[in-house]
Amino acid sequence: MMSLASYLIISLILFIVGLVVMIARKNIVAILLGIELILNAAALNFVAYSRYVTNNLDGHIFSLFIIVVAAAEAAVGLAIVIRFFQIKETIHIDEATQLRN
Amino acid sequence: MFLQLLFLSSAVLTVGCAIGVLATKNIMHSCIFLLGTLIGVAGLYATLGADFVAVTQIMVYMGGVVILMLFAVMLTGGKDFISKAQNLLGLPASMGNKWTYAIGLLVGLVFLGTNVNLMLNITKTANVKEISNDFPSTVSQLGHLLVKDHVLAFEISSVLLLGALVGAAIIARPRKQQ
Amino acid sequence: MEYTVGSIAPIFLAPVIAFVINAIFGRKLPRQGDWLATLSIFISFIFSARIFGDFVFGKFASDFFVHKVFTWFDLSYGTQIWKVDMGIYIDNMASIMLLMVSGVAFLIHLFSTWYMDHDEKHGRFFVFLPLFTSAMLGLVLSDNLFSMFIFWEIMGFCSYSLIGIYVKKEKAGDASLKAFMTTRVGDVFLLLGIVAIWMLLGSVAYVDIYAAIAEGKFAGHSVLGISFATFAALCIFLGGMGKSAQFPLHVWLPDAMMGPTPGSALIHAATMVTAGVWVSLRMYPLMVLGDITWFIAVIGAITAFGAATIATVQTDIKAVLAYSTLSQLGYMMIGVGVGSYNAAFMHVITHAMFKACLFLAAGSVIHTIHEQQMPKMGGLRKYLPYTHFAMMCCTLAIAGIPFFSGFVSKDRILGDALYYGFMAGQNPLLAIVPILGFAGAGLTAFYMFRMMFLTFYGENRMHHDDHGHGHGHQDSHGHESHGHDIHHEHLDARQNVPLLILSVFTLGFWFAGNLTGQNFGKVFGEKNEWFKILVEAPKVEKFINSPREEFGKTDTAADKNLPKAVYDYHSDSQTGYAGPNPDTHKIHSAHTIGAIASIIIAFSGVFLAFLMYIKGSIKPWAPKFPELTKVLQNKYGFDELYIDVIIKKGLLGFNRFLSWFDMGVYDRFAVDGWAAVNRVIFKASKWFDNVVVDAIGVDGTGVAVNLFNLVLRIVQSGKIQFYFIMLIMVLASYIWTLNI
Repeated sequence: MMSLASYLIISLILFIVGLVVMIARKNIVAILLGIELILNAAALNFVAYSRYVTNNLDGHIFSLFIIVVAAAEAAVGLAIVIRFFQIKETIHIDEATQLRN
Repeated sequence: MFLQLLFLSSAVLTVGCAIGVLATKNIMHSCIFLLGTLIGVAGLYATLGADFVAVTQIMVYMGGVVILMLFAVMLTGGKDFISKAQNLLGLPASMGNKWTYAIGLLVGLVFLGTNVNLMLNITKTANVKEISNDFPSTVSQLGHLLVKDHVLAFEISSVLLLGALVGAAIIARPRKQQ
Repeated sequence: MEYTVGSIAPIFLAPVIAFVINAIFGRKLPRQGDWLATLSIFISFIFSARIFGDFVFGKFASDFFVHKVFTWFDLSYGTQIWKVDMGIYIDNMASIMLLMVSGVAFLIHLFSTWYMDHDEKHGRFFVFLPLFTSAMLGLVLSDNLFSMFIFWEIMGFCSYSLIGIYVKKEKAGDASLKAFMTTRVGDVFLLLGIVAIWMLLGSVAYVDIYAAIAEGKFAGHSVLGISFATFAALCIFLGGMGKSAQFPLHVWLPDAMMGPTPGSALIHAATMVTAGVWVSLRMYPLMVLGDITWFIAVIGAITAFGAATIATVQTDIKAVLAYSTLSQLGYMMIGVGVGSYNAAFMHVITHAMFKACLFLAAGSVIHTIHEQQMPKMGGLRKYLPYTHFAMMCCTLAIAGIPFFSGFVSKDRILGDALYYGFMAGQNPLLAIVPILGFAGAGLTAFYMFRMMFLTFYGENRMHHDDHGHGHGHQDSHGHESHGHDIHHEHLDARQNVPLLILSVFTLGFWFAGNLTGQNFGKVFGEKNEWFKILVEAPKVEKFINSPREEFGKTDTAADKNLPKAVYDYHSDSQTGYAGPNPDTHKIHSAHTIGAIASIIIAFSGVFLAFLMYIKGSIKPWAPKFPELTKVLQNKYGFDELYIDVIIKKGLLGFNRFLSWFDMGVYDRFAVDGWAAVNRVIFKASKWFDNVVVDAIGVDGTGVAVNLFNLVLRIVQSGKIQFYFIMLIMVLASYIWTLNI
């Protein structure tokens, strides 16, 4: 049951779900949630490969950096969300069209 | 046996909560489901012997990111876009119309195909070893790797974090209305 | 003897604890915690005295002791070792230095409790004073260059704070900034030297460096075309020059008297300025290997003589002392340079004693009469008898009068300099070292007695003018001047006892004799002076095959069977001369000549001062040579030179050059020239525009764009998620093509 393939399938499901969340949800926070899911899927892949294939700790390092980047991204993204809410009084993604035209 | 149980429960938690993130109407509930997903992923890390990564996952994600998300949801109200309108699937319109679902499905299929393909290639070619189930602590090795081989990336990530936090503070700073 | 870290650490930690407590709770403690600071220094003095006793009186088995405390960081990989261990290194020299620093600092603390009483900065002063002392003690204790550098920088910061402690005075702020920036120039080089050694050896511990020198590991490496040893030694010595205020970097030390006088005493005597000499002594084998000792000697000679000439025209009592410090530091550097290793170190000790005493006595004078300008003093002998006694002892010592400590140490430095300059077969130009040294010694005797006579003898000049308070008064006290009613000084425990204790140690026999109990009768015998026996230049061969880790394993080096140099009489260690071509007979004759010459020179300087300022039979020479006096009063114009040349001409000039480059070269040629080219192109393209572009291009493109727009309009929806989908699809198709 515990094999590389099972981890890869789990991370694939996580990835697809994150993708769909990013595409389908109209809430900016929800899109950020989708990004977190995708990043987690990638990190899980790294750790799984590092255990089953390369057998060293480089994958762990990568997943640590992914966590760091995710934290930075969440901070900046949520700051943007709050700023956006202050301006538009909504966080509907389709309102974010200032760059159009 | 314990490992198998842990893996199974973590996998179920991960996948179930991920689908929960996708399917709930309420953004607050989405965040809570994300928490469940992250716990599940941390459990998966633990089954992979990545103790330090698992603990970091719990501390950074669940202690930091999700709390941040919840704050953002609370600060932005989270009410005004829950509409009663429904789309084709009987879900709220805020969760996308038929086109988004169609394209999402298409993209998902494409990705599914590519990923399965990749996965098959790797599992076929990679020299997958039989690995014993005793997990040595990775903390000290990770520490050495971080300050020796990956010290540049380590420093850059610290600068990145600093920049991100300062940037976040500047962006979210209240400004006078013009 | 059992030595553990716990029995040594209190030396360093007690003042640190006092600093922390005073920094946090100082305002709430009674008397703002000055007793705590003094007590902490006393504790470290007790522990230092134990180490001193064990090392000097021979109970300890070895002449050095290394203890590895912990590994700070270890970056070694493969065979390359790059690590920094923190540790303790004590040898005979360090044990003497510890006792001197803690003892002098204790007396200065005691004096400060009197001096800084009712001062607005009382509490703050006693925050920095113990930190300063602890940094110096840590520097002496540390066994490697990195920890030494840390303490070095703490001292830099503390001196900055102490000099500028009266933050409201602009001059004090300027002086502290000047001290900080000037020493920073040296510190950069010091750090460069340390890192260079670290890169080469992988360790910066003293014992490892000595072993590397003995094994010849420095050979065959070069930096910037000069040999590696020369480079490293030069960098480290430049750091020492900054801290010890040697000739080009000396400008900060005279200004350092802006702080309270006990702070100056600590900076000038026990701690800060001796750090530079200390590191030069510790790295002496490297200096010899790098062949820069002649440079050290020349720099020292220039400093010794130049500062002495400046001191002859100063009127501020503290300025005279500040320049005399500079001059004496120059002698120490001469000692290092000419190979007079233990005499240089002995001068560090003797100088610390008498200079601390001089500064404290000056502080006593200033605090009593609230006046710093010597022309407004005079005749204070009657009012300040104890201060007068202490200052007289110290002046005799610094002037090099026989039977006082300054004679013992300075005379030996000068004797070795004489040998080095004339008899050792060196470059004839190096004869400048003893010549300047002896001239400076004469000037020292002259200006010190000038200070004494102007301050304590003659008639009191305070009543004659309306004591111009505004311009001369640099030590702010918040009291009003009451110059007319000086009372006779009573023996005050906090004011006079430190002075008297220090003045006891200005006697020469403490240093020249044999205190270790052997042949006590032969006080002036050449062989049994304890300083000569105990302090000698590190013999690097001793450290081969004695890696530092081995010392670290044991708490004491006693069972290591190390060579015991305490009472080992080597033929070359009797003279204490560690320089080139030692020839014992010639050295002895040089010492004899030097002793006679320096006695004659010192007494003639004293006599000249006596004739000028007491008897009045010779008029002071200042009016006769107005230009020379002006030059000296301007301190050879170094301050102006640095401001004008380096800052204004150098940095600002560089800025101006850059702006000229911008305006003249870049604007004229690049921008304007580009404009001219453009004009030609413009004419050509105008024709091209009209015919080709307008007719064919624009109209044709318009149609094409309109068509393309139809497609783009769909894609450019403005919805982020739509863009995202496009992106994903492109990515997916790319991956697809990769795998199928």
